Amino acid sequence: MRTARFLAGRLAGMVVVLVVISLVTYALFLLLPSDPAQMSCGRPCTPENLAIASEFMGFDQPWWRQYLEFVAGIFQGRSFGSGPAAVHCSAPCFGYSFQLNQPVTQLIWARIPVTFSIAVGAAVLWLVLGVALGVLAAVRQGTLVDRSAMAFAVAGVSAPVYLLGLLGILLFGFTLDMVPVSGYVPFSESPLDWLWHLVLPWCVLALFTSAVYARLTRGQMIEALEEDYVRTARAKGLSEPKVIGRHALRNVLIPVVTVFGSDVGQLLGGAIITERVFSMPGLGSLLLSAVGQGDLPLLLGVVLFAAFLVVLANFAVDVVYGLLDPRVAQTQR
Amino acid sequence: MKRSIIVSVVAVGLALSACNANSGSDEAKSPASGTSKGGDLTILTSSQTVTLDPAKSQNLAITTLSLFNRRLTSWQIEPGQPAEAVPDLATDTGTPSADGKTWTYTLKSGLKFSDGTPITAKDVKYGLERSFAPELSGGLGYHKGLLEGGDQYQGPYTDGELDSIETPDDTTIVFHLNKSYGDWPWIVSMPAFSPIPKAADAKPQEYGQNPVSSGPYQVESYKEGSSLVAGRNPEWDQASDTVRTAGPDTITMQLGQDDTVAAQRLIADSGDDQNAFQASFVPPAQLSQIQSDAGAKSRLVTSEAGALAYLALNTQSKSLADVKVRQAIQYAVDKKAVQIAVGGTIGGEPATTLITPGIAGREEYDLYPAGESGDVEKAKALLTEAGNPALDLTLLVESDPVEVSKAQAIQQGLQRAGIKVTIKSLEYEAWVAEATGDKGEYDLAISSWQPDFPSANGNIQPLFASSEIGGGKYNLARYSEPEVDELIDQASASTDPAEAQKLWAQADRRILEDSPVVPLLFKKNSFLHGSNVQNFFVTPFPAYPNYLKVSLGQ
Repeated sequence: MRTARFLAGRLAGMVVVLVVISLVTYALFLLLPSDPAQMSCGRPCTPENLAIASEFMGFDQPWWRQYLEFVAGIFQGRSFGSGPAAVHCSAPCFGYSFQLNQPVTQLIWARIPVTFSIAVGAAVLWLVLGVALGVLAAVRQGTLVDRSAMAFAVAGVSAPVYLLGLLGILLFGFTLDMVPVSGYVPFSESPLDWLWHLVLPWCVLALFTSAVYARLTRGQMIEALEEDYVRTARAKGLSEPKVIGRHALRNVLIPVVTVFGSDVGQLLGGAIITERVFSMPGLGSLLLSAVGQGDLPLLLGVVLFAAFLVVLANFAVDVVYGLLDPRVAQTQR
Repeated sequence: MKRSIIVSVVAVGLALSACNANSGSDEAKSPASGTSKGGDLTILTSSQTVTLDPAKSQNLAITTLSLFNRRLTSWQIEPGQPAEAVPDLATDTGTPSADGKTWTYTLKSGLKFSDGTPITAKDVKYGLERSFAPELSGGLGYHKGLLEGGDQYQGPYTDGELDSIETPDDTTIVFHLNKSYGDWPWIVSMPAFSPIPKAADAKPQEYGQNPVSSGPYQVESYKEGSSLVAGRNPEWDQASDTVRTAGPDTITMQLGQDDTVAAQRLIADSGDDQNAFQASFVPPAQLSQIQSDAGAKSRLVTSEAGALAYLALNTQSKSLADVKVRQAIQYAVDKKAVQIAVGGTIGGEPATTLITPGIAGREEYDLYPAGESGDVEKAKALLTEAGNPALDLTLLVESDPVEVSKAQAIQQGLQRAGIKVTIKSLEYEAWVAEATGDKGEYDLAISSWQPDFPSANGNIQPLFASSEIGGGKYNLARYSEPEVDELIDQASASTDPAEAQKLWAQADRRILEDSPVVPLLFKKNSFLHGSNVQNFFVTPFPAYPNYLKVSLGQ
């Protein structure tokens, strides 16, 4: 019962956050100087053509009505125009991209496998690599291992992912010819090619992000190793790997999970630069194209979807907290 | 018609290039008639999507859509020759009536769609009528304001047929215009004049995903954001087509490619990339890299000077109302500095006229000879004649780094004559809104222009007709001169190309006498291709590779 109430509270919070985000995004959308109707008006864009395009796309309505229609579309779907040429956008309709001629939901849906493939593989890599390095540095504090690990962390944090990506492509793609330089192959077409095309993006993203985790884990671990419960565990005669793995690491992981949750949430919303550098048709590249082309309905849809993922990831983190540390669930009731 | 080639071809960025204009490779010089057949061509593009619905397309007549769709006429684009309108589906470029308001076309015999059905005049009419539907807007719509009743008509789905397009039989199509229009042969080369069988249009919104082909290729697969693969259309007949050589067996467009990585791939020139070219301009960093790489340099193709970059002087601004002040600016601008801002001679050549090179009838002249860096004394003298006004001008510019560099070059140039310039840089959309809006609260604006079709009409009318001020239109100088409007009307109406060209050249000079703009540069674009790509050339107009002639070595 308590858990159910906890979950219900969190879910309600999620909905409120999403409504606020949708309103703010919509306000920004309307404040922007560009006119989506103008972008779809064709050339030459005469005032008559512009009026026709604006009416057809629904941008001739007052802002609140546009917003309500947008929200209603999520639940009921929407149609633009009439007759056989009408544009249908079935529920959940997050708008329609008149530049790409597809419902935003469909566009997002088609891009999800790409972004998720990048995000999940990279996340696993950076978590394992980051935590392992962090633990190693903490346990060997002050030694060459520690300093090397932290030097790696500083380098990783400082290097822009665009630069890392290009260097990776130049070295492993062009010079050594070990991996493909760009593109994405669906898992269903060829699992091996899928893996082969993703190795480099995964490594680049993991290298960049694991640095943060290594530093975080190291700091937390050093603190944990000085705690009383660790001393007790050692006094009980437990081996050092058990003291670290079973006792210290479990506590260290709580802040790591917090950061991991929101990082993965953000990444699922689109690894913008990585996708662009590696020419992968994911959500990030969709967002970039929406910005570049001034495709506001698409921009709005993708931003909302990305926000939804971040909110969802935070929700998942809250749930996982409870599993890792029962005290959390009790205090968060 | 829109600001420069930028929008027409989606590629965004400045193209700078080296001196080997149109050399490309030795193979590039081989005549189209000797085109090798076969191979798999790859086109690398930063575009996420390909629009194959003719109603929604703004493609040039020599790029992607033309591989799939033929129109009544097309463009013959060859190195060293001005662009020419030539028959495509039709037997000629059109027969006008004596008053220039009625144009008649006859289709060639034996034309077939990719599904084997014959192409008839009714299919052309239906394709054109579709383009009027608001649901299918977004394409080139010059015909909409010219066809009788076109301003009221909203497409075949709600309004039935458009009476001003007649099809007395299967091979004849007649257009009734609301005024005489000499450039109609160019208009019928636009995407909307592609034939579409009504039977294939049950779901109009989805038509573009797998269109019925009339050109040499048909869609084999299309993955939005990823790739488009085209294979041969067995029903297309080379004998009926003078503009497409259809060399490669397949053409794959790799979409959403990062321009830098794509250029690196072509520089490396390994494996399948030898059969590829990049649809976007080569980014400046790679352009520098290519200069020191002989292999890549031989595969870089640069257009001759083409699209016009110009400084618009807002004639409705109080500070610039006096023609003497505007003429002083002609002399004060340092075009050499502007050229340096775009990368030197590899970025463009100084301009003194309005009509784009590569367009028939263009005349070369210079009303304000000022040397390469301007004539400050002459500018000061003109300002003295104008009563030495205190000038503090606002210069509207896009926030793109190269555009801002151009603005700074202009700022420094004008400073020499005592004219203060404040640069106002805006994101693209905001720039468009402010520069083309109704208010016009700026003194100067930097822009560039390449017409949608190769007629001087496309240069002059959109930038200088008084009907094109504000409302999203591009008369950025907000220039209104009845004499020029009259010249534009006469030249537009003339169905005699020689006479029209003469009138356009006259308008070009007459406009510059009033100094509403300072022509800055004719820009150059650079493209890179793989070592096995042949017949790859870029002409001044449209300063873009001719996809219809590209082939692969065998």
